[in-house]
Amino acid sequence: MTSNKAPKLNDKSSYLTLSQDFAGEVISFRKALTESMEFGLKEFPNTLIMGQGVDDHKGIFGTTAGLAEKYGADRVFDTPLAEEGMTGVAIGASLAGMYPIQTHIRVDFALLAMNQLINLAAKYKYMSGGKFEVPMLIRMIIGRSWGQGSQHSQSLQSLFGHIPGLTVMMPSSAQSILESYPYFMMNHKGPVISIEHRLLYDIDFRVSDIPRQKESSPLTSYIAKPGKDLTIVATSIMVLEALRAADYVKKNAGIDCEVIDLNCISHPNRQMITESVKKTGKLIVADTSWQAYGVCAEMCRIISETCPTALRAPVITMGMAPSPCPTAKNLEDLFYPNERGLVDEICKLVTNREEHGIVLPTDQSTVESYKTFKGPF
Amino acid sequence: MISFKSLEEELFYKTLRIRMVEERIAEIYPSDKIQSPCHLSIGQEAVAVGACHSLTNEDLIFSNYRGHAYMLAKGGSLKEMIAELYGKYTGCGHGKAGSMHLFSEKVGMMVSSAVVASTIPHAVGAALGMKNNQRKNIAVTIFGDGATEEGIFHESLNFAALKQVPVLFLCENNGLAIHSKLNARQAYKIADIPKSFGIKTIVCEEGYDPLKVHACFSKAIQEMKKNPAPVFIEVTTCRYREHVGPNEDFNAGYRSKKEVDIWKSKDPVCTNKKGIEQYAPMIQKEINEAVEFAENSPWPEAKELLNDVQ
Repeated sequence: MTSNKAPKLNDKSSYLTLSQDFAGEVISFRKALTESMEFGLKEFPNTLIMGQGVDDHKGIFGTTAGLAEKYGADRVFDTPLAEEGMTGVAIGASLAGMYPIQTHIRVDFALLAMNQLINLAAKYKYMSGGKFEVPMLIRMIIGRSWGQGSQHSQSLQSLFGHIPGLTVMMPSSAQSILESYPYFMMNHKGPVISIEHRLLYDIDFRVSDIPRQKESSPLTSYIAKPGKDLTIVATSIMVLEALRAADYVKKNAGIDCEVIDLNCISHPNRQMITESVKKTGKLIVADTSWQAYGVCAEMCRIISETCPTALRAPVITMGMAPSPCPTAKNLEDLFYPNERGLVDEICKLVTNREEHGIVLPTDQSTVESYKTFKGPF
Repeated sequence: MISFKSLEEELFYKTLRIRMVEERIAEIYPSDKIQSPCHLSIGQEAVAVGACHSLTNEDLIFSNYRGHAYMLAKGGSLKEMIAELYGKYTGCGHGKAGSMHLFSEKVGMMVSSAVVASTIPHAVGAALGMKNNQRKNIAVTIFGDGATEEGIFHESLNFAALKQVPVLFLCENNGLAIHSKLNARQAYKIADIPKSFGIKTIVCEEGYDPLKVHACFSKAIQEMKKNPAPVFIEVTTCRYREHVGPNEDFNAGYRSKKEVDIWKSKDPVCTNKKGIEQYAPMIQKEINEAVEFAENSPWPEAKELLNDVQ
């Protein structure tokens, strides 16, 4: 767990300032990102935003658009196609007192920077006995649907989450961004990788009137919906799938799911997860990635190590099919976990029957619903 | 402080000091008290001394695994360095860095890296930060001829030239990547690469002479501080010992003793017997104290294992 203490709420320099500006409002994931990028440039003169296309007319799906004009080309700049080199440049700039925000328009491209991320950024502090730190934020975007294919769709959180020294975030709401991005800039002294899901960008979220976290770091997990019959631990867009599925089974079968948004996958709230499983006795893990050696496996480790006897049924994990991502729409629909599959697993787990008899939601493409989906929080 | 009659004498002293430290490490090595892969700088000390002499503590250097000479030439603590090699808590990295990751935050010696070429962009990034904040400092990256084969070297040159940041690329060309010679590895001349990016490029073939190396660097550094722009300096040098470890390895057959002997015949630290006689006793005393400090220092406590991870 991080030892960073959050500042007091009445402190004007608090990282909660930005989220409180939007308290009670409904804003999109994209807007939250745009606001947090501008917050960084406006509040901290040493913030840099660097990445391929950050200063072009599209500006990372709009999240950095116009910022180069407003804050200067020295602070918001396009980069050569050199992922490893530019990650190294960001590390060096951080060591010289800057706060670099680097973008990868797809997570897949960050694979070219793994040497810098794992061998250097993650180890500077440790190797220097705490004398050097590399505060920086690297935004990576997961693509999905419309034929993104094998190299524009990967969810590689487990590769990063495996490495001590890296903080790995998977925001699932506007609020998560409004709270955590300022926190990274103001309170967190190490490298952060934030994996943003492209399909979340257009979704609107209501920002809560009260901050979710008052006493400590927002880099933790949250209960997205309390419940008593079964625990679903989910990441990123799967949090929304889980909430939709939970809503469906509540209405159609009276099943009461507890949904935990893992949020910061490198800093899961282990106590929250184990307490929930002790209460419900049943666990589904719904991750955006492959199950093997990833978030799904890690949740199983946490339960196996801390409270294996709390389980009254085997754990169920859901993730991408164990193949690269296909482009044909019918195959792609099979490749990703969806609400229908999740509802089916919930019903099987709670009724303890394969043929549970509960009517499943229509098998529409999940992606279609996201286009009009209004998030529940 | 020792007072020197001339710059030449001062640089000779600094070079000899590093040589004697390295030789002492080689002597201690078989005792197994140093359990850390040491890539000794023996033969290459004059490059570090000549390059670092004109730098201030606010000028940042980023080294590689053959970094003992830079730790000392930049002004890092000898005691902290030896203690680090011993894995003791009093070492610069509390015993968690070892020989390949030496640093001294007080004098601008940044963490060195064991992965070839990996700190080159860090110097470029630091120089970008300096330029953005209008600081009149420079960043230096030190790497070998082998690093020029890595993609990140080319990426770094490009970005440094594109942004015209005050970074000094220092290539120590000792002609060897472990045991492989240049002609087995490179289809280019090293100095042609930075030139192709429009970066001012200087070649110094007298890497045994700290005064000549210094002359090259002091002029370049002064210019960079006036007009921020990248500069590339390739210094020809010679590694006297094996790639890693305390021994000579001429018996391996990848190069002849004669090649190295020619170099030694020009190396002031080998030839200037009078200078050695004058300074060796005081250096020996300093080294004895540092070794004693390391031997008597405590190991890191168990809690150090998980300190400073995040």
